[in-house]
Order: sequence, then structure tokens, then C-alpha cells
Amino acid sequence: MRSSTILIYFLLCYVCSIVKTIKDEDFSEFDDFDQDEFVIETPSSTSAPPPSSSSKTQSNKLESTNDENIPQSKLTETQDDEVSIDDDDDAMFDEEEFETSDLFSSSTSSPDFKITEVPANLTGNRWEAYYCEAIMMIALLGYLIHFLIGRTKNSQLATIIYNSQRDLLERNFALVGDNGQTRNTQSSDEQINTMHKESENLYILWCSGRISMDSMLIELRFIKRQCLFNSLAALIKSINDTIVYTIDYGKDDMDTFVFCLARKRCAAKLHRDMNDLSQFCAERKNADKKGLSSNYQLLSELGEVSSAIIDTRVAEFMDKFPDAVEYIHISDQYTGMKGQNGDQQTPSTSSTNTGSAAQQQDALNISERSVRRVLIIAFNLISYKDRSLQVSCENLSSDYLRFVLYLIDRVSSFRLTSKDSKMKAIKNRQRIDEQFLKNVNQQRQEQAQQRREEQRRAEKEKIMQSDDPELQRKWEEKEHKREMKRRQPKMKQMKIKAM
Amino acid sequence: MDNRRPARIHRFRPALITQADDALPDYMNLMGMIFSMCSLMLKIKWCAWVAIFAALVGFANSRTSDDAKQVLSSFMLSISAVVVTYMQNPAPMTIPFMQ
Repeated sequence: MRSSTILIYFLLCYVCSIVKTIKDEDFSEFDDFDQDEFVIETPSSTSAPPPSSSSKTQSNKLESTNDENIPQSKLTETQDDEVSIDDDDDAMFDEEEFETSDLFSSSTSSPDFKITEVPANLTGNRWEAYYCEAIMMIALLGYLIHFLIGRTKNSQLATIIYNSQRDLLERNFALVGDNGQTRNTQSSDEQINTMHKESENLYILWCSGRISMDSMLIELRFIKRQCLFNSLAALIKSINDTIVYTIDYGKDDMDTFVFCLARKRCAAKLHRDMNDLSQFCAERKNADKKGLSSNYQLLSELGEVSSAIIDTRVAEFMDKFPDAVEYIHISDQYTGMKGQNGDQQTPSTSSTNTGSAAQQQDALNISERSVRRVLIIAFNLISYKDRSLQVSCENLSSDYLRFVLYLIDRVSSFRLTSKDSKMKAIKNRQRIDEQFLKNVNQQRQEQAQQRREEQRRAEKEKIMQSDDPELQRKWEEKEHKREMKRRQPKMKQMKIKAM
Repeated sequence: MDNRRPARIHRFRPALITQADDALPDYMNLMGMIFSMCSLMLKIKWCAWVAIFAALVGFANSRTSDDAKQVLSSFMLSISAVVVTYMQNPAPMTIPFMQ
């Protein structure tokens, strides 16, 4: 490869030299002769002939760059020699040959030939030039491998947790595992074997058919191990895998109260984001007073509830598994997070396929808020006592489920005893309901106003388009009368009252 | 004591799953499409590779309930962007800020 480039180089030099000589011969009659060069005799023989003296003077300047010809050029410049044309033809030719190489290498004269750089992918080992592509391919393959490994890990964890809880679930629930699509609730073998995969990091299991409750949804929210960036972010932020039990109660299954026990890191967030906690719970208190660790905070609507819910069994569990419980949220006014689902919209209306305006209309026609009675418990899945996460999950998940079942029964059997608490609960709910109705009325009025304005605009456009001046005048008079009517009644009412 | 009550069975409703605010798969699909268009129209090779990456990340973070056609179309578009860009100019990729 290198020899080929050198060969090409020399070939081009030769071609250039030939072209140069042809040029010189063509224009030799226009050369300016310096008489001094030809008259003075010197002993040295190395000198240029008169016809080519101009070219020699030109080339002499250029020869200074060429190492081989510097001594010769100096001699020719300094010494005024007699030049014989015949003897030094070969020398001259050789000089010119080297001169043209100078010409060629120097950038002062306009080059006729350019040696363009051959692209790296066409010379030598072509694949070496594609190193960027190789890096991208390796990155893509690396991400894909990480995806497969992460997905398998999450799936294994889900299977382990399901297998450890399955017996207890089947003993307590008539229906374990339902995707809501099959006609019969008698699930096939496929559904029983694994949890339903909602995404690569979210597995769910629906359980129903038990005393004192309607249903339970178990959600395994894993770290997104399938995505490289998310797993790195999880390492930095120290996010855990969580298992969330969401229990829905029937209307008569639980009493009216709102309560939350949460770790400090998420208590503030829940208090801010959850509708019911922000509306019913005034402040957060430390859980030290109830015998729990200082890591936890209490949000309670009624003081009676905290001491009833946090009994000895709960305290023992919290001592045995210090960081297991992330939060316990009990509420009969659960409406989700702020801004996600408004107070007015219900899950049932959102499934209709009507337009958004019609949905809004349906939402505004509802006179009651749609609330759920829930018990939500979130556990952290962390490895204990230097065991792997999988082994810890296998051992602990059944303990967590027993605790959940205990709490379900505790909440459903608890009833408020003091009259003050009951009155306070009723007052709070009335207050919130009134606020809700006010909002709904306001929105209805705004909608009605908008509709009226739209109708007027439509009328105006029709009348303007009709190009009938009389119609326009009549419409403008009507508008004027309407505006006067709007202003006048207030004044009249004031007068009557004064009388 | 048997706590099971078949009479109190309620069917599962997908709306009861807590909504995750994760819009990453949608953003990744959109990014994939934008980069594919850039690479096809402006003949920029690294855009095509980034489009494949975005499609892959979107696929990894997608939910099971999402339409598989969208993810697949994103992949196909990014792969076609790479192929067409290299057919137009087989020279190796150059990253602008690395030069």
C-alpha cells in the first residue's frame, strides 16, 4: 500500500516535469536574458545555459527549498559562469527535474495536480476505519444483554414471591388471579402459575372473594432492571423494590376515618400529593409517642384512630422488620393523587368512548364524589442479614401477607367509639362535600356561559355573512337591549330594598 | 375458619392499577422518529444510530398493554434510516464534536 502511493507520487512528479519542460520550450522566446550571466567566464563548469536563464532565475528561488540542489543553485547564483548549452543539457534537465519537484512541493505556484487524500475506508484494512460504528454496535449489544438479564431477574423475583404467597392466598380468597377478560372467574392453570405481567418491572395479582372486604390488588413494583439507565439511576437514588397491597372495602366494611403511617422520606410527599390526606389530615406527627421508631410519621384525622390501629401486633412487626413498611394508608375518602384523577371523574365514566366535552358533562352531572374505601400497605423488598434479595423475598413475603391479612380484619372490625370523633368526621366530610359541590356549580356556570358566547358568535357570523344591513341593525339593537337589561336589574333591586 | 366467600367476588378492572407517571416510552418513540427523519433528510449517520438506541430504550420501558405495532414501526424506521444513510454514503461515521 505504501509502495503503491510512492509509485503514484513519482509518476505524477515525472508527468509534471514533462509538462514543465514543454511549457518552458513553448515560451522560451519571451524569456528575459541577463547578459551578465553569459559574458563572464568562470572556471567552474556548473552553470545554466542562457536560453533557460530566466527559468533558472525563477527556479533558483524555488531551489532553495530543495536540499539536494542547494549547493548547485548557490554555485549558479554566485558564480558568473560561461554557459555552454550543449554540455549541461543533462545537468540542466536533471536540475529542472528537481526544480519541478520543488515547484510541485511548494505551494506558491498553482498546482496542476492535487494528490487528494484517499478515504481511509478504501485503503488498506477497510474495516478499521469503521471504529465508530463498532462502538455503537457494542453499545447496542450491551444494552440488549442488560435488558435480557434484568428482565429475567425481575421475572424470577416475581415467581419466587408468588410461590411463597400462593398457599396463603388460596386459603383466604375464593378468586386468586384474574385479568378481567375471561368469561368465567374459574381461572385456568396458566393464570394460577404466575402473576400477570403489566410491564417488565410491574407484576400484578388480583384476589377477591373474602369476608369483610371486596378485593385486593397485589402489585410488585420492581426497579427497572431491564433498562440500563434506570438501573444506574436506581443505584444512585437508592430506590428499592416494593410490594403494594391495595385492599378495597365495601360500603359497610369500614368506619369513616383517614389515617396514614409513613416513613419520613415519603410522608411529606404523600401529605402533599394525596387528595384525602391533604384535605383531612392537618399535620404530621412523629411516631415516637406511639412506640415506633423515629423514622416514621403519623397523619391522622382523628386521634382515637392512631392508638387503635397501632396496637401491639403492629409494633412487634415494625420492630422485627425495621425498614420493611414504607407506608400504611387507610381512608374512606380515597380519590387518588392530586391532578391525576379529579374529584369529579369516576373510573366507570372514563371507560366510555364519548368526546371529552360529553365526559365533562357527565362528570358535572354527578352530585356525589366518587370515593373508595381503601387500605394501602407498601413494603420494601430489601435483603436482610447478608442474604441475597431472592432468598430474603422468599422468606419474608409470607410474613408480610400475614400482617396484611391481620390489618384487613383489624380495620374492618374497628369502629369509632367517642361521639366527638364521629361528629368531627361527619363535619369534615360535609365541609369537603360542600366545597366539591361549589366547584361543580362553578364549572357548570362557566360551561353555560361559554355555550352562550359561542351561540352569540355563531349568530353574529350568520348575520354578518347575510349582508343585509337591516338584519345587522336589528341584531345590534337586540345586543344593546340585552346589555342594558344586565346592568339595570341590580340597580332596581337596590331601590326596592331601600324602600 | 374459612374466610373465603365466593359470593363476594369482584372482577378485575384495569383502571384500578395505580397510574404510573412514566412517559419515557412515548418520549423515546418520538425521539426515535425525529432522529430517523434527521438522518434520512440531512444524511447524518450518528442520528440514525441514536434513533436505533431510542427505539430500543422505548421498547425496554414499554408496558404490555401498549400497542406492539408502534414499537415495531419505530424499530423499522430507525433500521431503514441506518441502511439508507449508509447506502447514500458508505464512508465511516464522523462524530462532529470529536473532530
